[in-house]
Amino acid sequence: MYSIIVVPPPTTEDEPDRTQLRLAPGERLAFGRAPGDNDLVVPHDGVSRRAGAITAQSTFWLLSNLSAHQTYVVENPEGAGEHIKVGPGRLDAPVPFEFSRIVLPAAGDLLAFDVWAPRHDHLRAEAGLDGDTTAPAFSVDRTKRYFSVLAALCEPRLRGEPHAALPTVDQVADRLRPNWPAASRTSVQWNIDYLAVKLRLKPGPETADTGPRLNGKKESLVSLALRFDLVREEDLVVLAAPAAREAR
Amino acid sequence: MTEPYAVQVPRGYRLGVWEVREPIATGAFGSVYEARRTDGGEELPRTAALKFLPTGTGTPRQLAHLRELIDREVELHRRLRRPRLIRMYDTLVVDDPDRPRLDGATVLVLEKAEGSLSALLASSPRPPAGPALLAQICEGLAQLHRAGWVHGDLKPANVLLMKDGSARLADFNMAAELEGTHAYTPAFSTPDYTPPELLWSEIGERGRRIRPSADVWAFGVLAHLLLTDSFPLPGGTPTARRDAAAAYARGTDELRLSPELPDGWREIVRQCLTRTHEDRIATDDLLRRVEAAAGTGRSPRLPRVLLPRRRSRRTTVLAATAATAAVAVLGYGISSWAGSGADGKGTAGAGTEKVTSATYGASELRTDKGVPVAYRRLIVDSAHDCVQPEVTPALIAALLKAESNFDPDLSDPTAGEEGEYGIARWTPSLLRWYIRADGVPATETPRPPLTPAESIPAVGRYLCFMEPRLEQTGLTGDRRVLLAAAYRTSTKVVNAAGGVPPKYRAYATRVAHYLKEYTPPGKT
Repeated sequence: MYSIIVVPPPTTEDEPDRTQLRLAPGERLAFGRAPGDNDLVVPHDGVSRRAGAITAQSTFWLLSNLSAHQTYVVENPEGAGEHIKVGPGRLDAPVPFEFSRIVLPAAGDLLAFDVWAPRHDHLRAEAGLDGDTTAPAFSVDRTKRYFSVLAALCEPRLRGEPHAALPTVDQVADRLRPNWPAASRTSVQWNIDYLAVKLRLKPGPETADTGPRLNGKKESLVSLALRFDLVREEDLVVLAAPAAREAR
Repeated sequence: MTEPYAVQVPRGYRLGVWEVREPIATGAFGSVYEARRTDGGEELPRTAALKFLPTGTGTPRQLAHLRELIDREVELHRRLRRPRLIRMYDTLVVDDPDRPRLDGATVLVLEKAEGSLSALLASSPRPPAGPALLAQICEGLAQLHRAGWVHGDLKPANVLLMKDGSARLADFNMAAELEGTHAYTPAFSTPDYTPPELLWSEIGERGRRIRPSADVWAFGVLAHLLLTDSFPLPGGTPTARRDAAAAYARGTDELRLSPELPDGWREIVRQCLTRTHEDRIATDDLLRRVEAAAGTGRSPRLPRVLLPRRRSRRTTVLAATAATAAVAVLGYGISSWAGSGADGKGTAGAGTEKVTSATYGASELRTDKGVPVAYRRLIVDSAHDCVQPEVTPALIAALLKAESNFDPDLSDPTAGEEGEYGIARWTPSLLRWYIRADGVPATETPRPPLTPAESIPAVGRYLCFMEPRLEQTGLTGDRRVLLAAAYRTSTKVVNAAGGVPPKYRAYATRVAHYLKEYTPPGKT
């Protein structure tokens, strides 16, 4: 029933599997330098003993800045520089982004960790705001990168080949590069992992390993997306190159 | 009409034997229209509700999941027919290339209802018939769950109200058959009626795993809404209430039900809205408690409150008092009621005394006029299985008396083409249609001897079937006696004659005589 995921900063050199912390609405996570008082320890001398707290609230979250002098910045990594500032002493500042990176200034260094809000609600074309309407259990933001990744994965089957082989991660990266020059194998994989979290994919026994082979996960994502019309043929415009879009 | 219809069908449009009349309702995907039958066939009712679902290739939005939702609904209707579930008569496919938006649409021919519970709540919050409606809704759930299905989307809009004021469950797009303890449903839900364990639950390749207890949670929400005009969880928006449900399920918050909820119902709602699905009350236990609280007894008897037509003011008030009394009695301890509710008294007042066969249903069928004790239970229960108020225990008893003088061994092979047999003088080929409790015709024509246990419940079902088919106006005489006459002949003959046909006057007089004799004083 969690709505917020906190991804701790990398501690040692390469520790690929960082334990994500999940918060349900109303739950609170404190972070700071002191090991005893905090759920998330940030071991850096420039960080306050009790630096701040994250509170999950419905599908979004609140940031409290408990430090005396430092301003925290919450960036939207996909938002082209979009960010908010939370000054010292500010409690429960709401953060509207689906993806956030909290940046803590610490004696010349900038420490960052991520917070995801994968349960944001979005209006569906068919339904109103009425709580009485039978609504699909998924809500995706069609402007986000993960949606482009999902569209690219679904593309061959949406173009009329129901049993087409799914594109590889590299093929997806190539397909998306015109619109997203930084697309890489890693970033595409990251989005596929995030989609599995967001769409609450039940981990199957065969997909338990987190190696580079993501076939099971990809297959499940695509079948879910097509079954519930998360991606339709008209959504494939997100894959069109900017020039092609202007030509329309 | 405030929103455009998802599927627009012109008035007068012909589809098979049906002619489309007024639009009834529309959802996001499909639209429902009233339709009138244009042929003279007897098997189908004169009016029906046609549900159009755009499944054709020319429809503007191609929705892959729509096909799945329709298949679920059709599958359930094909497999299950229960008194508290709306009936499907047929499915059709529109073949009309000139209308690309309609061509290929799937059409479900459904029993026509008068309205929905959500419409009733919009016009009169806290309807006086609330407890009785809840008992019927719960009965529908119990019928579904016993058959091994989960509804998956119980809410006021999916409870339909029939002409006689009784409730039936509808909209089985999310319904799923249980596989062991779970069923798999599409990942759709209505936030206000979704149990906390399904909020943001994991979704596998086959959809989301759901248990019957999800329907029980939804019933708890619906009961609270119906009885207090408010949702059980606090919050002004569905989102706020969803968060409240999550907080409650996590144990950080308590359940605070409205103080307006009557005590008996408070306990019931609490047992539906438990934090975890394991603690939720089983559907059959729930049904017993709901029926005790509603004062409806074990059978789906409607209190007269629900029946606007041809009821005097006085009986309305009486029934309302009876229901209140039942709720008050509950305060003494619900545990003693859970058991006694199960042995099936027809009325609320007789709550705590033990009932023997000799006095079974005494408030509706006199005990001193020679109705054989052996058949009392069958007669009373058969009448209660019918929602039509005209079908009373006294009527069934009077009919049996007039037909056979309660002779279970009656055998009259010379009557008609195939003879008449048993306590109700059934013609075997007709009995075939009513012998089964689930409304499905038996595969073979029953052969005499016909036992009372087969004959009497079938009489209740047949009378119940005929009641709506007798003209509502223009017939002279007591409707119950007319029903008995129709049992002897047919509704068609009675309708054509405008009353009891001359040939059957003597029979009708006898039925009327015994009807009066068997009815306890003070009852109509």
